[in-house]
Order: sequence, then structure tokens, then C-alpha cells
Amino acid sequence: MWTTVLVSGIALGSFYTLVALGFALIFGVTHTFNLAYGELLVLAGYVAYWLWKTYGISLLFTFPAAIVVTLAVCLILQRLFSRLREPMEMNSLVVSFGLAILLQNGMLFLFSGDYRMIRVPFLNEGFRFHGLYLSYGQFTLLALSLLVIALTYLLMRHTYLGKGLRATIQDKESAALAGINVSGMGILAFAIGAILIGLAGPLFGCIHYLYPTAGLQATLIAITITIFAGVGRIRSLILGGWILGLAESCAVVVLGASWRELVSALMLITLLALRPYGILGKEEQ
Amino acid sequence: MIKGQPTSEPVQKPPIGQFALLPGLAMLLVLPLVAGGSDYILQVFTHALLLATLALAWNILAVSGSISLGHAAFFGVGAYTSGLLSLELGVSSWLTIPTAGLSAVAIAVLMWLFCHRLRGAYFALATLAFVEIPRVITDNWDGLTRGSRGLVGLPGLPGLRLGAHHFDISASPTGSYYFVLGYGLLLLAMVTLIFRSNLGLALQAIREEETAASTLGIQVQKYRLMALLLSALFSGITGACYAHLVRYIEPGMVYGIHFSAIPLIFAICGGRFTIIGPALAALVLYPLDQFLFHPLLPAGHEFLYGAVIILTILFLPSGFWGQLRKGHLVSIKTGSIE
Amino acid sequence: MSLLRLEALSKKFGEHWALKGIEFALEEGEIVGLVGPNGAGKTTLFNLITGRYKPSSGKIWFEGKDITSCRPHEIRHFGISRTFQSSRPFAKMSVLENVVVGRIFRGEFHLFPHPTDIKTALQLLELVGLAHKPGAVAGELTLSEQRRLDLARALATEPRLLLLDEVVAGFSPLAVKQAADLVQRVRERGVTLFIVDHFLRLSLRVSDRLLALDHGEKIAEGKPQEVMRNREVIRAYLGVRHDDEEQSAEGMEHGGQAF
Repeated sequence: MWTTVLVSGIALGSFYTLVALGFALIFGVTHTFNLAYGELLVLAGYVAYWLWKTYGISLLFTFPAAIVVTLAVCLILQRLFSRLREPMEMNSLVVSFGLAILLQNGMLFLFSGDYRMIRVPFLNEGFRFHGLYLSYGQFTLLALSLLVIALTYLLMRHTYLGKGLRATIQDKESAALAGINVSGMGILAFAIGAILIGLAGPLFGCIHYLYPTAGLQATLIAITITIFAGVGRIRSLILGGWILGLAESCAVVVLGASWRELVSALMLITLLALRPYGILGKEEQ
Repeated sequence: MIKGQPTSEPVQKPPIGQFALLPGLAMLLVLPLVAGGSDYILQVFTHALLLATLALAWNILAVSGSISLGHAAFFGVGAYTSGLLSLELGVSSWLTIPTAGLSAVAIAVLMWLFCHRLRGAYFALATLAFVEIPRVITDNWDGLTRGSRGLVGLPGLPGLRLGAHHFDISASPTGSYYFVLGYGLLLLAMVTLIFRSNLGLALQAIREEETAASTLGIQVQKYRLMALLLSALFSGITGACYAHLVRYIEPGMVYGIHFSAIPLIFAICGGRFTIIGPALAALVLYPLDQFLFHPLLPAGHEFLYGAVIILTILFLPSGFWGQLRKGHLVSIKTGSIE
Repeated sequence: MSLLRLEALSKKFGEHWALKGIEFALEEGEIVGLVGPNGAGKTTLFNLITGRYKPSSGKIWFEGKDITSCRPHEIRHFGISRTFQSSRPFAKMSVLENVVVGRIFRGEFHLFPHPTDIKTALQLLELVGLAHKPGAVAGELTLSEQRRLDLARALATEPRLLLLDEVVAGFSPLAVKQAADLVQRVRERGVTLFIVDHFLRLSLRVSDRLLALDHGEKIAEGKPQEVMRNREVIRAYLGVRHDDEEQSAEGMEHGGQAF
């Protein structure tokens, strides 16, 4: 049984890392909190669900459509954020909270409050691997998540744009002095974040019920992992995602499925209590 | 009111005086007569008043600079405490409602243990996550809380016995309306006292400049805790009133993000640096939502709140009442009143 | 007995000594200037005295009592107050409220400000020249008005010792002269003053003694003219690192005539 917990925990955790990746990137570059992050994820899921259900489009081909929608919303959000005054963290939190309410109601209007899920029969089948039962769903989740994370890693490490992003994350002012277009990097971070959400959203729709207020959990998960890992360290993000995924899997087995939602909340509160100066960890001198 | 020394400069006329609100208060007082037989109008305004008290209670904490995204915790615990005490033990709601306030205070102490070192956005995030603790526990502790089935058939708001007369407040919408209005006015008086007292001055000073405040002798953490506990107390009482007003509660409802978002939206939109702004926003926005947007857009009418909060932060950071009374957010009167 | 005595006071941030073995004593009724180039540790010293930072080692004595590691609000009750380098008014509160806040937290509990607290606050506004706008919103004052408000607020705590951090930075020569007069009036109220003043524009006018720091260490103390002739002090000021060029240029302009 525990190997099942391990496998599902790692698969789930890798997916959580993918979810957190976009959040961490946007926060790292622009120092804004996006509380509508989970709503964007659910929106992308809904887009995929709608295409799959009404037009019978294969899941694989729903990703581009989902990305287009999240890109549009993210770039609007970026425009909103660029008009905010200090304190950025607080104001972005409240504005994106407003956007989350807007999106929730928009989704309620478009897709109603019913619980929806993308059911791909193939994903529920499975195979045995060294006596270990893996469903294709878990396998796909794990493989796709790790693939996207690896691509993001390569982008950040080995491309010109990635270097610009990393420099901006480390020190905005020095990056600007070095000739990096910092506000351009902000837009780029939102764009990459949107692509990551657009990829994660349809997957989310396969493993979790979609309903207009389902996003809060995903937002909490993204924030928890980001605060655990800090920004700009993909390996720590993966570790954080796995710890959270495993903890949730254990909670489901030990306490029952209804306790799962408490895990990320408790982890977030504990992390904040231990690191009161937050993600960037700068104590006022 | 404390009078300052006469100053040579004439007192500046405020752009809009608090007395401009008197007609509004008069209208609230006579509303049941005006609304005639329409129970619906009365119900909407009863709810608006209740949400106004939640916004006022939320703002007691916000005065100290701490924005909470977790007041549903106090609201929900208050609702469940009062609901369970009256259902299981048959205690009069005159007793269960104050007890509900105290149980919310107890939860606030727990929240304080986790959050006392946090400021700004991190405090807000921690409170957002904190709500999950009472929600999941209530949802799962079937034996005590009846879990996700919720509490059905709660008794109404308390009755009043004056000599031989017995006013059953819950029996008529008018009775409930005046009960909530009375509580609202009481809370407004409390909040005014808090704002004008040394506690209020300390909280505002902490919000503006914590370091300077501590240098002037203010025990920052002590006052922040007091603000949180007072805010929780009244949020819990409001939650209890809600339970007896609606007579049905379940975890997803009273611990939902809705009751964390609503006070934040009303307070920021009305003006969180003012005493009455949060309540005003509730009394304007909620009826607007119910009478105009709900019929137009049955699913998704609450987009109004999302739009309002974004527009306020972008264009009116001190809220609309704060903007109208710009420069007159002060607690101590300075002009020559003699 | 000295009013304030620093005993081998040190503060380390990470591996960096912000202050190292400072020995100094302030006598009652004095005005002492605390001078030194950027990064000398002047503001750190103030933060240690007012309890914002805990010292890494050493002791602080005030009127013979050990106040090392007391918390800021406790320090206030001993009779020490301060202003801040960048003035920090309570921006959304009125000018009068700012000063009243300085008055009312004296340890015993009161629910409301007492009328005499408000009267005293108005008198302090008179002293610093803000009596004409008690109802103004503090955040909308000019820089010079904010500094004066800071001073009134600090005086409202009735300090025995007042620490002033760069009160005249950015002031015109006329404004510096007015500030010097104000400081003298504060001294006449029986307040001992300790003044951080990078460019010596104020301290050369009013100080009885100077304490000079460089890289966290005491390099000189004594009468202003003696300290200004001290080789180490001259080297510290002239040998300012180039990354501070803007400020050092200004320093030469205003402080230069003193050398």
C-alpha cells in the first residue's frame, strides 16, 4: 500500500511543482502575489473540458486553446499590476483577489456550478512495472509535469531570456543597470507563467473536479511550495512539490480524503510562522 | 468631545460632513414602514446591515494595518457555536450569541499564535490558509458538528419580553430587521469609541509607522492582539446572528471564501481609514447587487464585488467615503468649538 | 553620574562589525554631536540605544540603570526618545494626533487622551512652529515641517535624552540656523541632546562636544574644534569611498569650511 502512496504522492507532487512553477516565476520577477492563480488554472481546465465535451477534441489538442485564454487573462493582469503603487505585495494580493472573484463568477456564468471532470478512459487503465501498479493517468501526470519542468529549467539556464529572468529575480536594480529591460522581463514572466498554467489546467481537469471555486486550493498549493522553496530554485520547488504531494497522499490514506485540504493550509501556516519575513527573507536592517 | 485650544486659523469645512448621513440613518429607521408589505426588501436590508457589521468588525483589525483574508474563520465558528448550543442544549440565543463571540475570540488566539510575527501580504496569506483549519475540522467532526450535512432548523433570533408583552423578533421580518439594526448601531458606537480612544490612536500609529510607534512607548504586539480579538469577537457575534437569521448553516457556506472576501471588499471600497465607510459600502453595494445585478445575471452576479475592489485599489485607494472626507480622517477634533 | 554611558558597546551584522568597543559618556544638559562618514555606525548606535537592535556585546547605562536589550517601548519609559533619519510621521493622522500619540503611552492605562495631553501637544506644536496647522494631515507636510513634527512628537514623551538623526539634511542655510535655535530652546527645557549630523552643519553650531566614529570605531572625542583638527577625522572624511561620491561632494561643500 505504501508504494502506492509513494507513487501517487510523487506523481501528484510533480504536478504541484508544475503548478507552483509559474507562480514562483511571476512572484520572483515582479514581486506581486497572484491570488487569481488557481482561478486561471481552473479556467484553463474549463476551456479544455468544453472543447473535449462539445467538440470531442482530444485532450492533447486542447492545450493550445487553454494557453491562448490564460495568456490573454495574464497579460491583462500584468497591465493591472503595472499600475499599482507600493506596497506591491499587498496591493497585488487584493487586486488579484478581486480578479479571482471576477473569474469565479465568469466561470459560474459560463459553465454553471456543477462539478465537471475530463474523463479519458485510457488514463484510468494501467500497467504493472516490477510488481508496481501504475495507472496511465499517474504516469502521464508524472511524465508531462517533469517534461515541462525540465523544459523550463533549460529555458532558464541556457537561453538569453532565461538569464535575463534570473538576473531580474536576483536583483532588479542591478539587472536594470546591466541593460536588462526589467519591465519587459515582467511581461515575459507573466507570459511564461500563462503558458505553464495553460499546460497545467487541462491536466488539473483530469485529476480533480472542476467547479468555479476550485481554484483556491491550487492557489494555496502554489504559494505553499513557493514559500517553501524560495524563488529561482527549481530543484527546491520539486522537493517542495513532492513533500506536499506525499503529505497529501499520506493524509488521504491515514485520515481520509476529506482531510487532504488541510495539509497545504497547515504547511503554509507553519512555513510562514517559521519564516515570517516571507519568500525573499529580507529582514529590515 | 475633547476640545483643543482655540486656534487662530478658522476651522476648515470638511468637504462632506458626517451629518450628511443623518437622512440615511432616518431612512434605515423607518424602512419597515416605507417598505410596506415587501418582505423581500426588508430581508435584503437586514442582510446588508449584517454584512455591514461584519465589515465594521473586520475594520477594527485593519485599522492596525493588518489585512485579513480569514474572517470567515471567526464568522463560521461563531455561527456554529451559537447554532450547536441552541440546537443541542436549547439555550436561549440571548446567551448563545455572546458565547459565539467568545468562541471566535478563542479561535483568534490560536490564529495569533501562528500569525503574530507576520505583516502585510504574509499576514493576509496566513489568515487565508488558517480558515481551512476550523472548516475541515467542522466538516469532519460528524459527532459534534453533524459534518457536511450542516445544521438545519435553527431557532430564530432571540425574543424580547417586556412585562406582559412578548416581542418575538424572529416571527416577523420587521423584528429581525430592527434587531440587526440595533446591533449595527451598537457596533458602530463601539467602533467610534475604539477609533477615538488611545487604543485607536495606537492602532493607527502602528499601521503608519510601527518603528516610530514603538519608540513612543506603544507596545505594538499587545495592541495588535487587542485589535484582532475585538475584531474576532464582533465577527463571531455577526456569524451567530447570521445563523439564527438564515436558520440553516453548513461548513462550506459559513467558512467559505465569501465571508472572508465580503468584509474586505466593503471596508476597502468604503474606506478602511474611516469609521463608517465600511458599513456604508455594505448598505450601498449589497442592495445594488441584490436588486439590480441578481435579476439581470442570476449566475455570476457577484462579479460586481470583484470589479469594485479592483477599481477601488486602482483609482480610489482610500475608498469612496475616505475620498469624500479627504483630510478629515482624524479622531481628535482640533478646531475651536467654543 | 553620567546620564548615558556606553560600555564596550559592539554590534555585529553577520561577519561585519557595525560598531566595535564604543566607550562614551554623555553628561546631563550637554549637546553632543555624533559625526563620521557614511557607514560609520551612527544610526546603528542610535538603534542600539533605543532598543531597536540588541547589542552583540557591551552595556548601555542610563542614569545608572542598565538598559541594555530593553525593548523600544520600555526605553521610552526610561526617558529616551528619538527622531528618524528619514522622518516617519504617522502619515494618515493629523499633526496634532501625531504629537498626542507621543504623550499618551506613559505606562498607566487611559482610555482617552486627557485634555492636558492635548494642551501640551499644542504647546509643543507652538515650540516647533506648527501651531497654525494642528488639523493638517501629517503625510501632506513639507519635508522641513515633517522633521519639526518628528521633533515635537519625540519631545512629547518628555525625554531626558533626545537623539536627533540627521534633522537638517537637505535644509537651506537659513533653515539650519532656525533648527539650531530650536535645538537650543529644547536644551533650555532641560533635555540632553545627542545629534547625528553627517555634514556637521548643525553640530558645529550647537554642540559642546563631538564624538567621531569611523568604520564602527571611535576615532575621536572632545571639543568640536579639537575633533575637527584630528588627523584621523580628517582622513575619515576626505578618504570617503568613491561609491559615496555624491554625498561626499556635498559634504565638502557644506562641511568643508570647518576643516
